[in-house]
Amino acid sequence: MHWIEGIVQGVLLGGLYAQYALGMALMFGVMKIVNVTHGDLVILLALIGISLADFTGIGPWGVLTTLVPVGAAIGWLLQRAVLNRVVGNDPLPSLIATFGLSIALQNAMLVVWSADTRSLSGGGLQQASIEIGPLFVGVLPVIVLICATVLTGGLDAVLRFTRYGRSLRAASADVEAAAMVGVNPKAVYAAATAIAVGILGFAATFQAMRSTVAPADGPFQLIYAFEAVIIGGLGSVWGAFTGAMILGISQAIGFRINPGFGILAGHIVFLAVLAIRPQGIFQRKS
Amino acid sequence: MSYRVERMTLSGRVAILAGALALGAIVSMPWWASQGLIRDVITLACFIAVAQMWNMLAGYGGLVSVGQQAFVGVAAYAMFVMAQSWGINPFIAVGLSLIAPALLAVPIYLLLHRLEGPYFAIGTWVVAEALRLVATNMPMVNGGAGMSLRVMTQFSAHERAIAGSFLAALLLLVTVGGSYLLLRSRYGLALTAMRDNPVAARSQGVDVQRLRFLIFVAAAIGTGFAGAVYFMVQLRITPPSAFDMNWANLAIFIVMVGGIGSIEGVLIGAVIYFFADRWFGEYGASYLIVLGLLTLMTALFFREGLWGLWRRTFDAPWFPTRRTLIQVERDVP
Amino acid sequence: MTTLLSTHGLQAEYGDMRALHGIDFAVEPGETVALIGANGAGKSTLLSAIMGLLPVAVEMVKLDGKPVGGSLPHRMVQSGVAIVPEGRRLFAGMTVEENLQVASEHAAAPRGTAWTKERVYDLFPILREKARTPVENLSGGQQQMVSIGRGLLAQPRVLLCDEISLGLAPRVVREIYDVLPQVTAQGTALVLVEQDVGLAQRASQRLYCLLEGRVTLEGKSSDISRDDISAAYFGASHALD
Ligand SMILES: Nc1ncnc2c1ncn2[C@@H]1O[C@H](COP(=O)(O)OP(=O)(O)OP(=O)(O)O)[C@@H](O)[C@H]1O
Ligand SMILES: [Mg+2]
Repeated sequence: MHWIEGIVQGVLLGGLYAQYALGMALMFGVMKIVNVTHGDLVILLALIGISLADFTGIGPWGVLTTLVPVGAAIGWLLQRAVLNRVVGNDPLPSLIATFGLSIALQNAMLVVWSADTRSLSGGGLQQASIEIGPLFVGVLPVIVLICATVLTGGLDAVLRFTRYGRSLRAASADVEAAAMVGVNPKAVYAAATAIAVGILGFAATFQAMRSTVAPADGPFQLIYAFEAVIIGGLGSVWGAFTGAMILGISQAIGFRINPGFGILAGHIVFLAVLAIRPQGIFQRKS
Repeated sequence: MSYRVERMTLSGRVAILAGALALGAIVSMPWWASQGLIRDVITLACFIAVAQMWNMLAGYGGLVSVGQQAFVGVAAYAMFVMAQSWGINPFIAVGLSLIAPALLAVPIYLLLHRLEGPYFAIGTWVVAEALRLVATNMPMVNGGAGMSLRVMTQFSAHERAIAGSFLAALLLLVTVGGSYLLLRSRYGLALTAMRDNPVAARSQGVDVQRLRFLIFVAAAIGTGFAGAVYFMVQLRITPPSAFDMNWANLAIFIVMVGGIGSIEGVLIGAVIYFFADRWFGEYGASYLIVLGLLTLMTALFFREGLWGLWRRTFDAPWFPTRRTLIQVERDVP
Repeated sequence: MTTLLSTHGLQAEYGDMRALHGIDFAVEPGETVALIGANGAGKSTLLSAIMGLLPVAVEMVKLDGKPVGGSLPHRMVQSGVAIVPEGRRLFAGMTVEENLQVASEHAAAPRGTAWTKERVYDLFPILREKARTPVENLSGGQQQMVSIGRGLLAQPRVLLCDEISLGLAPRVVREIYDVLPQVTAQGTALVLVEQDVGLAQRASQRLYCLLEGRVTLEGKSSDISRDDISAAYFGASHALD
């Protein structure tokens, strides 16, 4: 019973991590870069959403519908202003550039919003729960999980069946060859980053509703996204989704063993996967 | 016609002399400098050491790490446990504590080297985070409350200053001097080749994997040395301070702004960082915004850093590692 | 008739190393031009420079007489220049059909009868059978067919083909070369980089020979003698033997 509850909690937590991980998998898949500000952007969007709700009184769904396009715009701008200048075979420039930006962003948020933790009121949604068999499950985590599943399925469909998805897959297979058949790599990249940060709009809203956010939290979100992507195996959005589930379950079960052990359990599972199956759970050996 | 290979230059000889004088001055500090200055110099030496180790990793090994704080923390904690819990002389414990980062670096490298470039970096960060959490949950190191180095009270302030100054000088000698010797050795050519083009280096018979592994372990030891010295002077350690992300921040800032892939750049960057921290650190967040943006700008617009800019104008390396062919006899027609 | 594509004193570098030292080259609409030369002569570099894959000065490449040097590759495609690159460069992980579709979805505006997937399948019927197969599971010859199909679906006015016979069985090479007249029939110009000098000579109207980044021979394919070619191919010192 105890354990089933832990697994259910973990799956629900995994729903949130999946929303972090999708965008990272997408960006790494096509550009082979890691955007170190990934987690900080979750926090930035969440803080923007909280302030927006405070000033205008719009509810959580209003916040969500604002944050997704805002995220997409930030992503597009990030690509144009920074990332386009640092994509390439050498991983150093993109890492250093986004690392510097991450420090600047965290501290800028500290100046604007102070170090206080904040959260977004969900209008009673946080307290609501439903009874499934012998378990009580929160309504909000279930919504988060459904959202994550739909986002993953939607992104997968975009990649498989649309013109944009094909051009993105072509660019990630061989960017020069893609340019030789008429694909504009910079436009593909900018759209990928816009989608990635747009999805963080969902993550930010839900993160702010189900717990609290503070300017320095970003690195943790980055690490969770990263672990989910590696556990699942690079290059597949369902892999990232499953990795997020495994990470969520590991943390939830670890937490039940000892509250101080939850996050660490996630790290240990990540390192174990790296030791046993470095290509990730879902990637075939290439 | 005959040639000889020349690596030493005039500027290099001057720099070696200056370096030797500086190390002498550091060792003799307890007899002429104030407590405050001694502390500052030791801190600066730790910054230089951590940055130079990162420079070897990223600038030559192509291993970008953002988790070097793992080795700072592990060595410092090992030193605290040896000195405080096991009663080993703290100054000897500093040396013995280096076993910890060395042993740890092996499995970390074996796990992480499978990750592609940027993922390697985040992987090192996860390891550092995991170690911080382990320290927080470990009764042996007093968990999240941290430890104090109370055994240091058995020494007088003067004795501690002598030990600290000596260790700082040794730290610089090992990390900076050691890197210089390594780069001038027969490995130096391989390292430089690897920095410039790992694929070509491999095809020229450089064992890139092995070299990377050795650099990773050596950098772990050097970084750990800095950590042990730093926290010996601090007298107190907690998991968040030991495994502080700021160690990675400062290494990256120093190396990138100073100029990656050169020892001179690290010295320039470290001095800039040290004084910036001293003068503007009180502005807290706004200061860090500027620091972060400077790192960003360096990566975007001038990747060779300040030393690279300087070198475009003047060719006078302080640490010459290039080999120059000098013609010693003229051709007889 | 205006020249379709031309280069004027084209120079290109890889880092510090100059690989092309002033190439003058031209193709007319519907013409087939062969480009021969030893390994490392600069044939692929010339195609890359035209395609915008290497930085070159704007006046050095002209399309319809207008300077286009250094335009980004996708812009060149949209203006009607397509390439079948050396080594095929297919999109791994995608099917034959998807590889073709990416090209047709980013093609130039067609002039005359547009190339469609169906027409490509008619040229190479085996590809119709393999439409749903990931390209990495195809044979070398089939992969080359996909690469040519991809080039055609870009609706080019000039198609640059880099060693499309390399590593293929003679039968497959013949199969591929047999369809080329159907391409030029509708006015598309072809530039064929070819190791097999005899094949190049037979398939083309005009021929250029490169040596160490310079044009050493240029003329009508039917007029050029074997001796001229070997002199141009290996350099003057060899020709003296
Ligand atoms: N990416 C590159 N970087 C540096 N030099 C290159 C690169 N590609 C080609 N070169 C050099 O440029 C010169 C011309 O090469 P290119 O590939 O154009 O020759 P090619 O005529 O196509 O030869 P092949 O018949 O072998 O394909 C050669 O000296 C080659 O070594
Ligand atoms: Mg070639």
